[in-house]
Amino acid sequence: MSTVAGSLATRRTWGPPRWLVVNGRKAISVVAILAVWQLLVLAGRVNPLFLPAPASVLAAMWDMIRSGQLPWAVLVSVNRIVQGFVYGAVIGIALGLLAGAIRWVDDVLDPWVAAIYPIPKSALFPLFLLWFGLGDTSKIATISVGVLFLVLLNTVTGVKSINPLLVKAARDLGATRAQVFVKVILPGALPNIFTGLRLGAGMALILVFVTEIEATKAGLGFLVWEGFQLLDTTRVFVGVVTFGILGIVSTWALQWMERACCPWGRR
Amino acid sequence: MILELRDVSKVWTIERTRERIVALESIELDVTSGEFLILLGPSGCGKSTLLQIIAGLEAASAGTLRFPDVDRASSRKRTSMVFQEYALFPWRTVLENVVFGPEVRNVPRATREAEARRLIDLVNLRGFERRYPHELSGGMRQRVALARALANDPEILLFDEPLAALDAQTRRILQEELVRIWQETKKTFIYVTHSLEEAVLLGSRIVVMTARPGQIKQIVDVRLDRPRHLTGRKEAELLDLVDGLLRDEVKRALATTDAAVLS
Repeated sequence: MSTVAGSLATRRTWGPPRWLVVNGRKAISVVAILAVWQLLVLAGRVNPLFLPAPASVLAAMWDMIRSGQLPWAVLVSVNRIVQGFVYGAVIGIALGLLAGAIRWVDDVLDPWVAAIYPIPKSALFPLFLLWFGLGDTSKIATISVGVLFLVLLNTVTGVKSINPLLVKAARDLGATRAQVFVKVILPGALPNIFTGLRLGAGMALILVFVTEIEATKAGLGFLVWEGFQLLDTTRVFVGVVTFGILGIVSTWALQWMERACCPWGRR
Repeated sequence: MILELRDVSKVWTIERTRERIVALESIELDVTSGEFLILLGPSGCGKSTLLQIIAGLEAASAGTLRFPDVDRASSRKRTSMVFQEYALFPWRTVLENVVFGPEVRNVPRATREAEARRLIDLVNLRGFERRYPHELSGGMRQRVALARALANDPEILLFDEPLAALDAQTRRILQEELVRIWQETKKTFIYVTHSLEEAVLLGSRIVVMTARPGQIKQIVDVRLDRPRHLTGRKEAELLDLVDGLLRDEVKRALATTDAAVLS
């Protein structure tokens, strides 16, 4: 967007550098909106029960960090997210590579994927509660299943999008079936695998919240829900903002991993 | 003699219509060690299929294929293919592409990389070892593909219309380099093309194939000095001769295509 705007705008020969202007606008946007919001609350135009002032949210956040309540909630939730994400991703990538490369695996998996994929994974949570009990396992299982299908489908797409000529070339150069799998299929599918992982990370955040509403006394989702039940809107905001930060951090982490794993860049 | 083809045929079956298509019929061919053999024919005559059969990437429906001279105990690969669309691994740098063959045969890293660097020099790509394929031009990609094929030290190099996707100037330069590399490496080249001019510029023998079903129409020995020029008198005579052989087949190929479209 910004490059298009930059090329269309009349070029200026003076003034501050481009990056300063761009980031300056972004900073002003954030500060201005927050300031107006703060002023509206201070002027009594907005009921803080619905919309607490940014400063009070920040203050509450700081208190909850110092008391250990927020770090503990984050720790509990992140543990569930990471475990669920890793199990789901590993199984999804493995099954996806096999299904993409081996016809009969695809055929065997297909009806199950078709049947389970459209189900909202949060609807499976009661079932997992029944099977695995109230502890972490039921939540991790729900997250895993949500992540698994997204990663699986994208991995299969990745394998099937590989140019068959590359497989032919690898065979011609003497690669065994196993070597073709490791040296052609896996790297060829990697960009699509990362698409699946990014979607899976978003799904993991949704599911950790949903599974923490009920049947738990810890976690970020619980913190938000308890805040709602106590009509402590400030606490709800603290939880929501923290979820946002988790989302940003996970996106960064995956971007960094993708750059490290796929240095060949665009395809 | 490095390769003998005896009565080689290939039949495809189109599953939907149960139609049988004879791509190749009774191919008899002896390839001499060190020659630059051209397979020339109209589109769809089965010349690429023949190359794939020689490479072992397709099975012949009938007939035999022998490499009489090749030492069975040798770990050397007999053939390596250079594809028209380069078929480079986009996630590997130039160097990593070139070492692929030795790598899957578990040649020690230092050995295979030294050899790869020598070949990258041979195809004039020094300085580009760390580039990815998408950072190279078409001509440079095809040089990488050639170096990669050479890295397995095959007896025979197979080319499937390798220059067809390149612009005329690049093609001309690469044709000259192919001849140079053929002379330097003294390997056997089997080269598929539908270009008459390319056949005359490159080949030491030209196998003219018929329209489908692909058969060998005639084999023309080329006794012209190198470097060759299309404007030369002897070259012009050869062009005329091969053109005469090829023209009927191209017409026949077009006629059958038209008939297929009309029916």
